[in-house]
Amino acid sequence: MIQHLLYIKRLNKHFGGNVAVADVSFSVEEKQIFGLIGPNGAGKTTLFNCITGFYPVTSGDIIFDNQRLNKRRPDEICHLGMARTWQRVKPLGSLTVLENVMIGAFSITSAVGEAEKMAIEQLNIVGLSDYATKPAGSLPIGLKKKLELARVLATHPKMLLLDEICGGLNHTETDTILDIIRSVRNKGTTIVFIEHDMKAVTSICDRIVVLNSGEKLAEGTPEEITNNPDVIAAYLGGGHHA
Amino acid sequence: MKKQLTIIAIVAAAAALLPIIIGENPYITGIMISMLMMAALASAWNILGGFAGQYSFGHAAYFGAGAYTTMIVLSRLNPNPLFGIVAGIIVACIIALVTGSIVFRLRGHYFGLASIAVAEIVRLSTLNFEFTGGAQGILLSDVSLWGIDLNSKNPFYYGMLLLLVVTLSITVWLGKSKTGYYLQAIREDQDAAASLGINLAFYKKKALLISAALTSVAGSLYAVYIRFIDTSAVLDLRLSIEIILTAIIGGVGTLWGPVIGALLLVPLAEVLRSNVLGDLLVKLGLVSETSGIGIFLKENLAHAHVLAYGIITVLCILYLPKGILGLFRRVK
Amino acid sequence: MLFLQSLLSGILTGGVYALAGIGMSLVFGVMNISNFAHGDLMMLGMYLAYFAFTLLKIDPYLALLLIMPITFLFGFMLEKVFINRVINHPHQNQILLTIGLGLIMSNTALLAFTSDPKILTTTYSSSAFNSASGISVSVPLLLSFLITCAITAILYLFLSRTRTGMALRATSQNREAAQLMGINVAKMSAIAFGIGTALAATAGALIAPTYYIHPLAGHSFLLKAFTICVLGGLGSVVGAGVGGVIIGVVESMASTYISSDWKDVVVFMLFLAVLLFRPQGLFGKKGGQ
Repeated sequence: MIQHLLYIKRLNKHFGGNVAVADVSFSVEEKQIFGLIGPNGAGKTTLFNCITGFYPVTSGDIIFDNQRLNKRRPDEICHLGMARTWQRVKPLGSLTVLENVMIGAFSITSAVGEAEKMAIEQLNIVGLSDYATKPAGSLPIGLKKKLELARVLATHPKMLLLDEICGGLNHTETDTILDIIRSVRNKGTTIVFIEHDMKAVTSICDRIVVLNSGEKLAEGTPEEITNNPDVIAAYLGGGHHA
Repeated sequence: MKKQLTIIAIVAAAAALLPIIIGENPYITGIMISMLMMAALASAWNILGGFAGQYSFGHAAYFGAGAYTTMIVLSRLNPNPLFGIVAGIIVACIIALVTGSIVFRLRGHYFGLASIAVAEIVRLSTLNFEFTGGAQGILLSDVSLWGIDLNSKNPFYYGMLLLLVVTLSITVWLGKSKTGYYLQAIREDQDAAASLGINLAFYKKKALLISAALTSVAGSLYAVYIRFIDTSAVLDLRLSIEIILTAIIGGVGTLWGPVIGALLLVPLAEVLRSNVLGDLLVKLGLVSETSGIGIFLKENLAHAHVLAYGIITVLCILYLPKGILGLFRRVK
Repeated sequence: MLFLQSLLSGILTGGVYALAGIGMSLVFGVMNISNFAHGDLMMLGMYLAYFAFTLLKIDPYLALLLIMPITFLFGFMLEKVFINRVINHPHQNQILLTIGLGLIMSNTALLAFTSDPKILTTTYSSSAFNSASGISVSVPLLLSFLITCAITAILYLFLSRTRTGMALRATSQNREAAQLMGINVAKMSAIAFGIGTALAATAGALIAPTYYIHPLAGHSFLLKAFTICVLGGLGSVVGAGVGGVIIGVVESMASTYISSDWKDVVVFMLFLAVLLFRPQGLFGKKGGQ
């Protein structure tokens, strides 16, 4: 039997009268790289905020690792093994790069020395070791994205939710990040991936869900999605080229 | 960490020798006690404001809780000041816990506003209740501890110094502990902090409790030292603002900033309060003591130190938002 | 009867509180700043009314025609000289700056006017309408309430009908978007602070005939104004209006049925209760930020 790590069941999120997520269901298998795509305002980030406990859901269920996540706080969800990054990066500006990653590591150890060791390890993985003592706020955007990644990796998550981790990066930077993501998956972490860049998504994802105006428009393998006429219409309509 | 603790020890040892060097001078000793007390208060506030970025505008509530509880315990239950101090800590922590539980679920401006509301509730209740002495306040006639002469000021000098050393040491320890890192993460970005597994309300409450407990000890020492308290002396909004201002001027979030702030502000307030300036002008023959200006200065300069605080606050926020230490180094 | 009496005087006083609350809410909405000098601006209005009456022999209600433009300009200047320099700072710095400005105002008043409370006694200060059923309505309170209603109505028309008013509301809803649409948000901030100041001073002037006028009088009103804003939902002008009346009634009821010593405690308890159970305010949308 296939192991599913995350189930989203008929999830709805309303803001007042606005429906941001409408009856969305899907499930993510262990060790998958799962893509979540759609035009601007499709509800992708809202969905992430619901899953990670930042927004209360209006109705529906989120089951992660056999635990119901509805009504749990973000920090509890992190301790259950689900970590996320932010589309608009949120570096802890006046702390150093190393300290930023240590904050992540503290979720699995209370010892400062241990946390520091784990943080250095993660900085090596994403290639930020040279910047360890710099204030995080002073990094350029490409490095801030890497820092986001190192910081969540330090929590040793079972599942990683990445919100446009390649947004605003050039080709080489994007490729480096994609390589890191692949190697993280190969070590056993499941990944859900919001991205605008269709090329990045189709090259790396095992399975993709397309959202449009809060609803699920399509689901399938990258080939199925790129050939789906609805998806093409939605993306062209939304001003994006597949 | 070792280095910082060593510096604290050296400074404390030097401060401990001061009364011996100065000799018996109650006036100077009194000012030095005030300096140590403000330094301890601002450092305790800094644990919450500097580390966690949660600005309390009502810390007088915790100072007053310590002072009032101590006075009530000493005058009615047990003459040993240590009981009073412990009871004060308990009361302050209860107030802190209630405040924290209500407010720390919320973000943004709410903590600042609620901290004032709580402080005002404490002040007005103290003013209205009978067991707190109401508007008359509480006077303490006699107090003793282990045969120490508590009529001398020196024991209180050392008491405040010890409190300051403890507060600074806790600050150093926090700076190098998981809790300290977590509090700084909360200060920098609450969403990011929560997504990395930090229980925001829990850690903010922890910081508030530590800060409130230390603040209440200062209140207890002050009460036994002065032996008379009323709401305007220990629960006023002005005290809360003086505490913040002391921390801001020195440098919020730094170890020594609050101490430097106290070293500057307390003497300034003293100069204005005691009309040193007016006396100086009279002595220099610039102003006649009986002239309109002379009388005006004599009567009104006592208020002027609060006016000076206002002007300093504005200038500090506009031109020196990171305080004096902020000029020299990164906030840490 | 006692109940109706205290309900009525609560509503009348609450109307004036509402004016102060609306001023604070407007500033909060447009500039996202908690103005801790608001109470001291009210105190300023009290003294202006007092001196207009004692020195210029102008009726305190008539003096509003002078006080409002003067304090609007004063607030406009305060924003231009001080407040706008911290508009992008952390909110604690903004709070501290306004606390500093408030301390300067209240302690300058203390130096200039001494701490002796002043009383503004007009010919009608203690007169009242008495109904057959035994309910009496104080004339100055009633006049204040009616003037408050008129000012609120004018403000409402200004915000909903004029270009500047609509620009203010747009800035309040989304500062960045307003800027992108060509609204001069810096000017809007100064106007909002000017109006906020004028409303605070007006509220001060309106209560001057029924309160002690004192340099530190603003402090107790500051927390009341905050309670009103939080009750109505921070930034909501309509909410602040209703919140003001609620606070007035609560205070009046507390005075009648508990004791006037405890009325402020009851109001601040209400403040905490709102934070606990309905932080977005009675009329606010989703809150918490």
